[in-house]
This record gives sequence, structure tokens and C-alpha cells, in this order.
Amino acid sequence: MKKILQITLGIVTSVGGFLEIGSVTTAMQAGASFGYQLLWAVLLGTLCLIFLVEMSGRLAAVSKHTIVEATRERFGFPFFFIVLIGMALVSFLVLVAELGGIGLALQILTGVGFPWWAIPVSFVVWVMMWKGTFSLIENGASMLGLVTISFVVAAFKLHPDWGTAAHGLLPTFPDDKKANYWFIAVSILGASISPYLMYFYSSGAIEDEWDETYIPINRIIAGIGMSFGGFLSMAVLIVAALVFHPKGIDVEKFEQASLLMTTALPKWGFTLFALSMLFACFGAALEISLSIAYFFAQGFGWNWSEDLTPSKDARFCLTYTVIIMAAAIPLLFGVDPIKVTIISMALTAVALPLAIAPFLFLMNDPIYLGEHRNGWLSNTVVTIVILLSFVVAIIAIPLEIIGS
Amino acid sequence: MHLVRDVLDKELLDREEEPMGRVDGLIMQLGERSQPRITHIVVGGATLWERVHPAFGRLSRRMSRWWGPKRDKEVRIPWSRVKTAGRDIKLDVEGKDTGAIDWELWIAHHIIEHIPGSGHEEADDGS
Repeated sequence: MKKILQITLGIVTSVGGFLEIGSVTTAMQAGASFGYQLLWAVLLGTLCLIFLVEMSGRLAAVSKHTIVEATRERFGFPFFFIVLIGMALVSFLVLVAELGGIGLALQILTGVGFPWWAIPVSFVVWVMMWKGTFSLIENGASMLGLVTISFVVAAFKLHPDWGTAAHGLLPTFPDDKKANYWFIAVSILGASISPYLMYFYSSGAIEDEWDETYIPINRIIAGIGMSFGGFLSMAVLIVAALVFHPKGIDVEKFEQASLLMTTALPKWGFTLFALSMLFACFGAALEISLSIAYFFAQGFGWNWSEDLTPSKDARFCLTYTVIIMAAAIPLLFGVDPIKVTIISMALTAVALPLAIAPFLFLMNDPIYLGEHRNGWLSNTVVTIVILLSFVVAIIAIPLEIIGS
Repeated sequence: MHLVRDVLDKELLDREEEPMGRVDGLIMQLGERSQPRITHIVVGGATLWERVHPAFGRLSRRMSRWWGPKRDKEVRIPWSRVKTAGRDIKLDVEGKDTGAIDWELWIAHHIIEHIPGSGHEEADDGS
């Protein structure tokens, strides 16, 4: 009975925590510019994420190591340091984007511009980290994130042609705007396969004291939770394809993007969109701040647990305090959160091999996983998707920059 | 035991199972007639950064002179204090006596405890 409860909770938190500014923005862009044509990228990204999240949980349950701890121990400090720099930079940019997303949501709700929200929002996020416990952040924030299910409601209410949509699940080459098409495809992959999610998940498994009996539970949570999460992204894409694509609306303007759901839900659409962005970005901001602090603390062997009082894990708390404060600065100066989102998602795709390659080596290492190491299927799927994202990213990003 | 695989970079736990950093370096003694043997574990500081690049080591030394807890010597823990080496390295020492968590205590004392709600007030009441 307890296990069923844990599975349900795990799935609910995965669904509630899935969407954030990256997945929403990239899915909206894809739908607005290319209709259903890029649904395959969401499918591919979600599939890869399911495998990666399952691996993160399995590594923690079997070896009692988080990914970060195992990376430093197996590959040594100099290599770990390179991964640390790469992941910290990318995650920091994503944190700026999420804090900005909260600001934008508040801006459309109140009319007060997002730069004004930078300090209050960062402060609230920091207080949650300072006083909250791990389960409050994991469960509380994701429960609020369940409001994002309204995207699915909106998608159904618009009665899309499911047959045409299904065609989008298979990759096709675009007729025009080729560079933009691949750039958005890469951004979707970067937004779906968020490395911080793996670090957060494996640290969570250690905080919740998982052991080998959790392997089946972990598989169910990763599989079902992330699949439902992927459906949410697809719903955003479908709604954008139906509402924005025919009119040729550019979603880089947030005010226009906020009208995403008003066609399907005239009365509540606007508020639901704002609340979805607000809670989704809030949950993600907490998870990313924690992940960055975990990365430093685990890598250097400091005390770390979100459940300790700050004076018991001072360096861990100092890390997230500094990072949250620093992330507010670009927003104060009015740096456009949507631009930061788009850049950080594409950069995530470029940085993926740095995070995933050592992780795959660990997952095949008998020292850490014994008989529970990876099979050929997970190795193949993850390797192909990561290589694909990387190659397309280094081709598409320069083209996109030249193009614009 | 493989030194690099099973010892270097592993987490160190003190007598109370509290983390006290990682094995950032090892000191080996080469005798004229005896076999080489590991004498100390080094924790933190310039030793760690030198592994990335000597310039980082110099930078780390310079930084620690004007900021943070002052120490003249690097933190060395005698190998004889190692109880077990498995998932982590368990030591028969008190973490704060070794100097390995000087930075943790310094940051707690100088920064974190000045922020309301850091929890050190409650700890004081309890003791």
C-alpha cells in the first residue's frame, strides 16, 4: 500500500514538475511556426528523458551514489571540474529563464513589468529553499504544477485532427525555413532532456533513502511520469499549432503567447496560462537551484541535505543563496527571459554529451551497478539521441544566428 | 586496493559519520630499502586545484591568504586513522579537529548564522 502511494506521488510530481519555461516556449514556437511537424522532437526528447531518469534513480538505488558523486569518484577531480563548469553555466542560464518566466507570468497578471519582480521572486524562491524541506519542494511545488494539465484540456477542446497530428510524430524534412526548423528541434530536445532533472532525481533518491527494492518503482515512476509530462508538452505544441500557426503569430512576444489558451477556454484561458507558467517556472526554479547546490556539495564532499537547517550545511546553503541572487541580476536589467530561454535550451543540447557521456560509462560499470547495469537498449537509445542533438545543435545554432 | 579507483576522490566520513570532504590528494613515502607506502590523506586547498592546473593551485594559495579560515599547513590525515574504505572512507577522527571542515565552520559562523532562520539559535537552545 505504501509503495502504491509512493508510485502515485512520484508520478504526480513528475507530471507537475515536467513543464517549465523551456518546454512551454519551445513547444509553442514549434507549433506556431511548423504546425504539428515537430511533434517527433518532443517524442524523441521524452523517450530519451525516460531512460535517463530511470538510470539516475537506478544508480542511486543500487550504488547509493548520486550521479555527481560517482562522476567525481570514477573520473577524478580534473574531469569532474570541467563537467561542473559546463553544467553550472547552463543550469544558471536556465535558472535566469525560470525566474524570468515567473516574472512574466506576474507581469501579465498584474501589469507590473517583469524587472520589478526579479527581486521579490528570487527572494520567495530563496525563502522556500532556506526554510523548506526536500519533500515540500518536491511535492508541494509539483502539486501546484498540476495546473499545467489545463494545456491538455485546451488541446482536447480545440478538437484537433488527430490523424494529421500523428503524422508529426515521424520526422519529416521542412519545405522552407530549414535552419529555424532544426534550431527549434534542437531546442525542444534541450528543453526535454534537462540534465538538472537527472541530478535532482538522483539526489532525491538518496534523500529518500532508496535501495534496490525501489528499482521497479523507479521504472514505473520514470516511465509513466515522464510520458505524461511529454503529453503536456505535446498538448502545448498542438494548441499553438491550432491557434497561432494559421494566423502566423510570433510567440517571441510573451503578451501574444499568453493568448495561447483563450480560443479553447475563453473565460479562464488567460488566467490558466499565467498560473501554469507561474507554478511551472516556480517549481523548476527551486529544482534547478537545488541541483546546482547539490552539484557543488556532492562534488566537493560538503554536508548536503535540503532537510538540514542551514547552519548545519553552510557551504551548500551559501551556494544556492549566491546563485539565486546572481540569477536575479540580468532580469533586473530587463534581459528578455524568452531570449534567455531560447539560448539556454539550445546550449543545453550542445552541453548534453558532457553530462551524459560520463553518466553512460557509470551506468555500465559493474563496480557501481553490479548486475543492474544498463542493457543494450538504454545505451543505444540514449547514445543516438544525445549524438543527434549535439550534431544538429552545432550545425543549427550558427545557421540560426546568421539567419536572424 | 587500487589507490586511484578506490581511494582518491572518495568521500571522507568522521567518527560521527559526518562528511568532512573528499580524498583530494595522497602522500606517499619512498624509503631507501622499504616498499613505498601511503602515509597521509590530503583534504582540500591547493592540492586539489593543482590537480587541475598548477596556476589554479597558486590562485587557491593566494586566495586563502586574504579570505577565509587561516591555516599555514594543508590538512593531512594519517593513513593509520582509516577504519574502512568502501563506498566512502571512514576515519577514526573528529572532523572539526582535523581542520578539514574549517571552511564549513567559517562560512557557517561568518555568513550563514547572520541570516535569520539559519537554525543555529535553536541548536543553542537545545544544548
